[in-house]
Amino acid sequence: MIMYLIGRVLQTLLSMLVVISIVFVLTRLSGNPVHLLLDVNATQRDFDLLTRHLGLDKPLPVQYGIYVKNIVQGDFGKSVLSRRPVTEHILERLPATVELGVVAMLLSVLIGVPIGVYSAVRRGGVLDSAARVFAVLGQSLPPFWLGLMLILVFGVILGVLPAGGRGGLQHLLLPAFTLGYFTSAAIMRLTRSSMLEVLGTDYIKFARLKGLHEQIVLWKHGLKNALLPVITFAVLLFVQFLGGAVVTETVFAWPGLGRLILESITTRDYPIVQAGVLVLSALYLIGNLLVDMLYSWLNPKIRYRSTAG
Amino acid sequence: MTWRPYCSIWLVVVLAGALGAGLASAQSPEGTLTVAVATFGNERWLPHLYPGAEDVVLKPMLENLLNRDPKTGALSPMLAERWEVLEGGRAWRFYLRKGVQFHDGHGEMTAEDVKFTLATIAKEGSANSLGPEFRLIKSMDIEDPYTITIHFEKPFVAFGNKVTQGLFASVAFIHSKKYIETVGEEAAERHPVATGPWKFVEHVRGDRIVYEAVENHWRAAPHFKRLVFLKVPEPATRMAMLRAGSVDVIEIGGEYVEELKKVGVRTLLMPNVSWVYVILGGQWPGKPTYDPNVPWALPDAERARKVRLALNLAVDKQAIVQQVLGGLGSVVGAWLTYPTDPWATEALLQPYPYDPAKAKALLAEAGYPKGFEITMNLTAWPGRGYLPDVGEAVATYWEKVGIKVKRRPVDRAVFSADFRARSYAGVTLAYAAPVVGPELWEPLIRAGHTKASVHLFAEHPQLDAFIDRLAIEPDQAERVRIMRDEMVPWLHAYVPGVAIGAAHAIMGVGPRVGEWPLIPGHMGFHNWEYVTHRR
Repeated sequence: MIMYLIGRVLQTLLSMLVVISIVFVLTRLSGNPVHLLLDVNATQRDFDLLTRHLGLDKPLPVQYGIYVKNIVQGDFGKSVLSRRPVTEHILERLPATVELGVVAMLLSVLIGVPIGVYSAVRRGGVLDSAARVFAVLGQSLPPFWLGLMLILVFGVILGVLPAGGRGGLQHLLLPAFTLGYFTSAAIMRLTRSSMLEVLGTDYIKFARLKGLHEQIVLWKHGLKNALLPVITFAVLLFVQFLGGAVVTETVFAWPGLGRLILESITTRDYPIVQAGVLVLSALYLIGNLLVDMLYSWLNPKIRYRSTAG
Repeated sequence: MTWRPYCSIWLVVVLAGALGAGLASAQSPEGTLTVAVATFGNERWLPHLYPGAEDVVLKPMLENLLNRDPKTGALSPMLAERWEVLEGGRAWRFYLRKGVQFHDGHGEMTAEDVKFTLATIAKEGSANSLGPEFRLIKSMDIEDPYTITIHFEKPFVAFGNKVTQGLFASVAFIHSKKYIETVGEEAAERHPVATGPWKFVEHVRGDRIVYEAVENHWRAAPHFKRLVFLKVPEPATRMAMLRAGSVDVIEIGGEYVEELKKVGVRTLLMPNVSWVYVILGGQWPGKPTYDPNVPWALPDAERARKVRLALNLAVDKQAIVQQVLGGLGSVVGAWLTYPTDPWATEALLQPYPYDPAKAKALLAEAGYPKGFEITMNLTAWPGRGYLPDVGEAVATYWEKVGIKVKRRPVDRAVFSADFRARSYAGVTLAYAAPVVGPELWEPLIRAGHTKASVHLFAEHPQLDAFIDRLAIEPDQAERVRIMRDEMVPWLHAYVPGVAIGAAHAIMGVGPRVGEWPLIPGHMGFHNWEYVTHRR
């Protein structure tokens, strides 16, 4: 197990190096950010001076070397636009993204799991059909459209929730639902299929034969085992939310990390793009690693199989 | 009866109390005015770090030496209570207002602050759009703490327009020398101070900027206690927030005007704030990137002119103004001229007609009976998000007269790189020039003068000659005559690009917004301190 972990950690570090290298090259291919920092009528001398000041006149391999060396020392550099440490920008935006991600994931689970369970129990019934329609809609409605429709209905027509921006819990509901609806559909389907599998097992039949109440059979014995894949999926989802919420953040004017990266791409703020992608990649890779470890811990069969070789 | 005098006294006391309370509430700012905008620009706070698009979010806090009269557009006092133009425009003397304080007790504004600010803007590497022009300053003399004279090598007759609050991107705001030098640039960026009617409270990058009213401001105490800018990139979200009451003012394009009307949202109009045209790139025969095969830039000037005229006649500009700009504009033939300009005559304002048959005939005469290939860049600029749609519409009209148009969506950064290298020979682009100076030659100093560093327009010795003459002519009446009788007719005959005309801008406002005096021709929000509550 220790060797396995060491191997996975090394793999993760190598993957991150590949990611930052790709991002480094792609951001530089997009052009010189000085074009956007200066007025379009600035002189060539102003342009050259600022390029030199930002270190962008150095050869690319030199810039890359400096960048990797700084990363290893924990220095992500300074924003080309603000000249403030990149870490500051990321830490400024990360809480908003985590907040949105946590609530979106909770909503996904709270909506998806119960519907999945009842859909499995009432297979073929009206509830099951409704749940499957819910799943199809969730996975086909574009978040952009869904977000705007929710704003229109709840923010404008009914006036019960804010139309955008970050604030208290009420500001979170619409963007979290927009983000979470897609995944709640996936969680619902995963829960349903996992539950169907579990409900067909011998120990569930035995529990029923013992005379246990159906609710206890479902929620205590059935769901506990059916949730294993759902939990691991939810952890991955959470990590995806952290970086993949850019559309939702834009529609709701939510000041998260996804929007920061998008804005930095359009302004060619290389250090923020590089650091942002690095942080998200690291979270994703670490998340994957944790999921693997969690799954093997939760599922004794996997541990037994690994031990048995 | 003895109760009557007591009643009278009591009545007087009550009335006096009510009047006093009314006066107090009328004078004290209250409530929050929330504004949703698409961008904050580069979000920098020091004079050599902001190019100019930040104007909208900086103007509440910062002030210029001069302002513009909202009725006449003439220069008016602001931080300078009066000024003199000396030596035919080679010197400008400003007499500063006494007792103007920087926020948070950081001292009085003096001539040292003016000198420091202008020098900072002019220093090399400055991102400020006024940098190249402020480098024309030869010297600055401080006669006393409230008097400063700025000297130029050559007359700079329009210098007053560079230090006025009343134009878009007029970013020569005066900063505190002592504050910046004491706390350092980094700290000054995190907590800027200035002299304006709003003072800085908070800046969360990419999210919000918060200001608070300066209640005993020398010029105008705001009616609202707080002014909050929110960055909301998506126009549909901005409209929803306005309709929901989450914000009071939104920045919105003319393409949404019908939609706003349908839902009963009030709009305020900012007329004649930019001039829309299509740049025909490559008209620089003296430069290395000149391509003599570009149809509208041929060495044969008459053939090239026929092509440029054909490109104009092929386009139904009225339809573009109605459909793309939502009717917010007017088709004008006189280049960079607005209907209210003193050099605009009825004849000059007449647009190039829409005549596709004549356009085809002219192309055939110029040697292109089957048309030719063009690339149309589709690029949006801050505050002018309609430009790619204008470009698309023009491209469609050109295709109807046999020109093959390749569309190239390009973001501003990529275009800026091409533009600087003048590598867009043979490429066209729809552009809207904001009013950065009230006289048409002022934007052309940077956009049409051979000696200027970058060009949006065309290079021509005659254009250079007009600009050189106007830049040093101190008599405004004579400048108007030159523009009316010589420059504008020449531009009209030369046909440097495809002229669409003057565009207006609108903003959406909510029920809390009352009166709001705006300066004519100023693109972008301003005069926040004068916005009243709607009762």
